[in-house]
Order: sequence, then C-alpha cells, then structure tokens
Amino acid sequence: MVGMEVAGQNSNIVSARDLGVVACTRCTQVWPAGTQTCGRCGSTIVARDRLSLQRVWALWLVGLMCYVPANMYPMLQTRTLLSVQEDTIVGGAVELIHHGAVGIALIILIASVVIPIGKFMAIAFLAISVKRPSSVSNHHRQVLYEVVEYIGRWSMIDIFVVAIMSSLVQLNTLAAVNPGRASLFFALSVIFTMLSAQAFDSRMIWDVRARQEGTTTDE
Amino acid sequence: MSETPTPVSIEPARKSFFANASFVWIIPILALAIALGVAWQSYTDRGPLIEIEFENGAGIAKRETELRFRDVAVGVVEDVKFASNLSGVVALVRIDKDIAPFVDVGASFWVVQPELSAQGVSGLDTVLTGVYIEGTWDGDIGPAQSKFKGLKDTPLYRYGKEGLEITLRTTAGGNLTDNSPITFRGIEVGRVGKAHISQQGSFAVAEAIIYHPHSRLISDRTRFWDTSGFTFSVGPGGAEIDFSSFATLVSGGLTFETFVSSGGRVSDGKSFEVFADEESARDSVFNASEAEPLQMRVVFDESISGLAVDAPVELSGFPIGRVTGVSGVIDADAFGDERVRLNALIDIQPARLGLTDEVTPEAALQFLSRRIEEGLRARLASASLLAGGLKIELVDTENVSSYVVQSGEGIIPIIPSTSNDISDVTATVAGVVSRINNLPIEELLNSAIQFLNSADALISNEDLRETPKVVRALLGDVRDIVGSDDVQNIPAKLNGALGRFETLLAQLEEEKFTTQLVAAVNAAAAAANGVNASVEGVPALVTQLQAVAAKAESLPLDALTEQLTSLTTSADAILGTDAAKKLPEDLGSALNEINATLRELREGGAVTNINATLDSTRKAADAVAISTQDLPALVERVQQVLNQANQTIAGYNKGEVLSRDAQSALRDISKAAEAMTSLARMLERNPGSLLRGR
Repeated sequence: MVGMEVAGQNSNIVSARDLGVVACTRCTQVWPAGTQTCGRCGSTIVARDRLSLQRVWALWLVGLMCYVPANMYPMLQTRTLLSVQEDTIVGGAVELIHHGAVGIALIILIASVVIPIGKFMAIAFLAISVKRPSSVSNHHRQVLYEVVEYIGRWSMIDIFVVAIMSSLVQLNTLAAVNPGRASLFFALSVIFTMLSAQAFDSRMIWDVRARQEGTTTDE
Repeated sequence: MSETPTPVSIEPARKSFFANASFVWIIPILALAIALGVAWQSYTDRGPLIEIEFENGAGIAKRETELRFRDVAVGVVEDVKFASNLSGVVALVRIDKDIAPFVDVGASFWVVQPELSAQGVSGLDTVLTGVYIEGTWDGDIGPAQSKFKGLKDTPLYRYGKEGLEITLRTTAGGNLTDNSPITFRGIEVGRVGKAHISQQGSFAVAEAIIYHPHSRLISDRTRFWDTSGFTFSVGPGGAEIDFSSFATLVSGGLTFETFVSSGGRVSDGKSFEVFADEESARDSVFNASEAEPLQMRVVFDESISGLAVDAPVELSGFPIGRVTGVSGVIDADAFGDERVRLNALIDIQPARLGLTDEVTPEAALQFLSRRIEEGLRARLASASLLAGGLKIELVDTENVSSYVVQSGEGIIPIIPSTSNDISDVTATVAGVVSRINNLPIEELLNSAIQFLNSADALISNEDLRETPKVVRALLGDVRDIVGSDDVQNIPAKLNGALGRFETLLAQLEEEKFTTQLVAAVNAAAAAANGVNASVEGVPALVTQLQAVAAKAESLPLDALTEQLTSLTTSADAILGTDAAKKLPEDLGSALNEINATLRELREGGAVTNINATLDSTRKAADAVAISTQDLPALVERVQQVLNQANQTIAGYNKGEVLSRDAQSALRDISKAAEAMTSLARMLERNPGSLLRGR
C-alpha cells in the first residue's frame, strides 16, 4: 500500500514517521520514534506538533488584527515648515505615483501591501490545506512555505525605511519625519505573521498525502 | 515463544478543548481585548459633533482645521458639507469631550484668517498652518446646542476681552470707520465693531467695546470723536497740524474724553454720538449740559483793541466761557474819571467749572464769588503770539484789595480786573504795525496823483495853449501902461503946470525974484535935459519895435512857449515894479504939486510964501528930473522886454492875434513915444515954455 499508489513525482517520498524515526527539529538528529528528548541537543522531540496549527492561526489572527490599523493610521508623519503631512501606506504610495515615482511606489506597494497580504493568504492556505485536501501538490506547497518563510522578513523593509527617515530627517522646525502610529502596527503585523509562518509545522504538508490517499484513490 | 501482546488500540482519553488548546491563543485574545479596549476608550472619549454654519468654506479642510479656544485646539473639523439649500457651508466639528459642556448657546465661532491692516498683522500663523476656527464661550455650562451660526468677523466681545458694550452713532454728516481702534491717551482701550447704516440712512451705527478696566473712564458725559485723518488749520492758535497716530491716520479711529466730572456710570447698551472733532465734542458737552450761562462783566482800566466777541474766557488755562460783548464805558460816578474803559460782557458756562453738586448759574456765581474774594482777578492776555487777539484770563493774584462781588436781580456781577498780561512781542509787533499804519500813505498817494494829474495837464498843453492869451494880456498891460491917462496926460499936465508957472512967473517978474527963478529955471533946464537925454533913445526903440513887429508878423507863433512864459513873467515883474507904476504917478503928482503950489501962489498971493514956493517948485522940478531920469530906465526896460519879445517872436511864424496885439501894443508904444518925442521937441524948441507955461 505504501508507495504503490502515489500519484506523480512524489510517489517515492517516504516520510520519517512512516520509517519509524523522528528527527530533532533543532539539530536534525534522527532518533527512533518515540524518543522524547534529543540526545544531542536536549530539545523536545515530537513527531508532529499537534498544537502547531493552533499557534499558526492564533499568531496569524494577531498579525491580521495588527495589519488593519497599520493601513488605517498614518505610517509617516512629515512635518515641514508649512505643513504636516501624514500618509498611510497606500496613500503614500499613491502620492508617489502622482509625483511620478512609480518605481518607488511599486516597491512600497509590493513590500508593504502585496507581500503581507500574500503571506496572510499563503499561511492561511497552507494551514487549511493541512486539514483539507488541495489541488496543489505537496511539493508546491512546501515551496510556497519556504518562500513565505524566506520572504516574510523583507516586509520589514518598510519599517526600516521609516526608521532611517525618522532618524535622518530631524531638522527641528524646518522639516521632521516621524514614524506614524501605523509603523508600530505594521511591525507587529510582520512579526506576528513571521511567527505564524514559523509556527507552521511543514511536516504536516506531507501527512496530508497519506490521508489524501486514504480517502481519495486518485486525484 | 515470546508473545508479543496484541496491540491494544489505545484510545486516548478525550481531552478537553482547553487541554488541547495552545496557550498561544492568549495573544490574539489579548490583542483583541486591547483593541476593543482602545476602541471603547476612544469612543467614550470622543466629544460631541457640532455643526457650525459659515457663509463660505474660507479654507476649512476636513480633519485638518482645528477649533481653537484661547489658541488651544479643542476640536477638529471632521467634515465640511453644504447647508441644505446651499446657503452656506456647514463644518462638522468634533470637540473635545471635556470642553463640550461649555460649548452652549452662548458660544460663537468665526474663522481666523490672516489679516493685514493698518493696526498690524493678525492671524499670521494661519498663513502657514491654514485657517482655524476660533470659538468663544463663557465658563458657565448653559443649555446645550449643537448647531451654530458662524460669525463673519471676529466678534468684539469675547472671552478674555470683556468690556463695556456700547453703541456709537454718528452725528449728522459725520462718518465712522468700522473695525477701528478706540484710543485714550494713545492707548487702545476699545474697539469699534462692524458699522452699519441706520434704516433712514441718516447716520451710521456701530457696536463698540471698551475693555475692562478702561470702561470706568466712560460716563454718560463722555464724548467720542473721530481722530482719523489729520486736520490742518490756521487760526488764532497759529498753524496747526493734528493727527493722533499713524494707525488712526490710515484706518481711522476714535477717542473720547469726559470733559466734565459729573456724570453717572453707564451700563451695556448705552448709545453715544461720535463727533467730527474734539471741538464739537467739547461744545456738545456744554450744549447738552443745558445750564444757563452765567453772565458777568469785566471792566478793564485801559481800552485795548484786540478783544473780540467770542474770545475765550479761561480759568487756569481751561476755557470756561466766552466774550459775548465788548463796549467802551464812561462812568465818572463809578470810576472817578471820564476815561473810556473797556467793558467786556462774558458768559461763563457753569458746567465747565467742574462743579460737582449742581450745575447752575447760581452755583457758578457762588463759586466765582468765593474765588474772587480770595483774589481771583480778570486780565487781558494774548490769545496767540502769532495771530494776535486777546482773551480774558482769570488768574489768582496776591496782595489785592478785597472785593466782594455784588449780585442781585438785574445786576450783572463784575469780575474785578488786574494788570494785563500782553506779551511784548505782540506789543512790539502792534507798535510796528501801528507805525506803518500811521505813515501818510494816503497823502503821499494823493500828492502823487496830483503830480501825475499836473503832469498830465501840462503834457496835454492846456497851459501851452493858454500862452498866447498870456502874451496877449501882457501886451495889453504894456499898452495899458503906455496908453494910460497918466502917461498921456503928462504933456497936458505939463502944459497946465507951465501955464500956471507962466502966470506965476508973470507975478514973480513983477516982484523980481530973479535969483531964485534962475535956480528954478536951471533945475527945469536940467529936468528938460534929462527928458531930452531920455528921449534920445526913443527913436531907436521905435525902430526896434518896428523890427519886432516885422518879425512878429512874419514868424510863427507856436514855439518856445517857455521863453514866452518867462518873458511874460519878467515883463509882468517889470511892469509890476513900483518904479514903473509910479513913474506916471510921480510925474503927475509932481505937476499936481506944482499946480497946487502955483494955484496957492496965485490965489493966496502971499509973497512971503514965494521962497517956499520956489523951493517946492525946485523940488517939483527935481522930481520931474528924477522922474525923467527914471524914464530912460523905463525905456530901457521896455527895450529889454521888446528885445526879449523880439527874440521870442523870432521863432514864430503865425499868430495873427499876437501880432495884432503886438502891433496895437507897438502902435500904442509908438504913440507914447511920439508923445514923448513931441514933448521933448517942444521942450527942446522952447525950454522957456516950461517956465512960461506956453
């Protein structure tokens, strides 16, 4: 039964649990299944983190909650001699487009809007696909997970820009750039989504296959 | 062998939801709680939304324009929309919760915009930050209201700038500048608000405020006047340019003064008139005081010109009245002599004396009487150094005899006078002016006019035309002299005298008084010689006359009038000389005397008198001789005259009148000369006839 009816290219992939071993998630030492503690690094070894999905969803939710004010409140407060300008993330990008800086606007939009939202969607998709069968292959999902985990930190580029601007442009009354309230929420949102992505136990992607195969014989 | 136990299907005990749940869920729950808490807090902290309707947007921007109270932001405009019928703009303002209760029915709102005016710049910060809405309300919580009507302009009365609210109204024809400051001694103590025209259009009305604590300066006797612009006047006070400050010069302004001390306090809503200038404002006080003026008199010892009706009467430099009449007065009974004194009637305004109790003439008289007893005296003083004019000053003097003012029905009380204080400059100037006044300019002008008239008359040849007449008159005179009876009668009288002499001689022959006769005859001969000698020049004279006549006939008459004039005068002078006039008389009288003597001799026959008679005869003969000695002089003078006439007439071409006159004169002269000639010839031929009378 095992490996015989595996569809596609993944037919030869065998999970560690199927082989009766378990790997330490920290030092990758493989131990026989049932080992409670890693003999090398001492970390707790579990074959599958049963609370993983709960953590993912909880952190994802907090990240999403933070993302709402991050977009509603101004990200950057630019105070010049004559005026105080407060721009939200999207508003600032739109303004940049109006000023002709389409490239920068696109970077901001991608880094601050597209990527975070894509991350939310990807994590949600992965978390859902663990429980429910998906048309996307396990391999693609694994790639998606790795991309999400890798790219998540780059969302902090927005916070990075705000931090640099705020520290550099402080000319007292003439001009000053201060981080807006949204920057805090945005940073929290990025942090929580990253934690959420990390909380996801990618091994579960591969568990689905067995269940998949148990329920549906073929795709 | 070894038996592995059959795997037992272990059904883990069903764990509870919470046992399975990760503690991580605390985080979203916490976040949610925090979010909800914040939301709740912000909701509960949120103040009410009020609507303020303005006429226009005036730069109000949603979520940016602040509502400020005492320059502190207490709200922000959440939305701007149009009023239901597009009649205005409604700003929805979210105001702070803690301030909201105070925003009650008494609140008012206006938009603060940058404003550049003559008083300065206001609202400059709004240039940079944009406009804001300023609100004002009091510190008491009143009935709530959520819809307000915004003011067009900054209101006068607002929190922190409380004051006395009054209404200002222009006088007829006056004007009022709205939004102008009310200054007092140069300090802005109030403000005129927006002015509007009264319904009838006859005057302008404006709300105004006098800030506390300056409002205590206002009483119901206070007068406001316009200080805007500047006035330039030249009057008794000299040239005056007057403006109070640059701000009021440009934008107008009011000031006020409470001229009299008595006056009640005023409350909000009191209406005042705005006068055109200080003078009319000041006058109005006394017009409005309705007190009868106190009439008094001042009698000055010397009458000095310069005091005019309406001249001010001042007490300590403050005008308290004016002169209503000036007259001279002579009252020997009252003053002891009959000098003319200056009597000035003055009206004193009781209100100007600053009497606190009652403002009546009686009170004023009492006050002045008391002061006069203490030494108050009136004197004349220069009203102005430049323009002259006098005023009456009431001054306190010392060491004066006490004086009690007499008053009563029908008596005009007199203020005693003291020595005048008229500045020297004025006196000097007056002296110079009076000296200039005294210059005989009129006479000088008259003389000049006369001179010019004379010159005119001279030039117009009136006299020159008269000159021929004068010449004619002169020649007439000459003719008169020559043809006068005296001269003509000389031969006849001589004949008569000689006749009588003959009879006398006949008598004398008988009595043979020869020696004396010889002397007499000698004298007579001498006389005859004189006559002869004098007659010698006559023919030449005649020829000269003829030449003159000839020339006169041929020459024109209209030149060298001056010479004629001088000739006339000299001829007049000659003819006017006593010698010339007396000559015939002397001759006549001598002959008469001879006649009388001879008659006496003949009639009286008194031989004893003969000696005397002969003496007289000799004297007579001497007189004749003297006369005949004078004759050549006469002839000579006539000759000179004729020479001159000859010379003069030499320039004449015409002039028949003159020539005719001259001819007749010359004829007369010729006749006279002929008579002389015949007389001389007769005497020559027969000298004895002189003795014998034949």
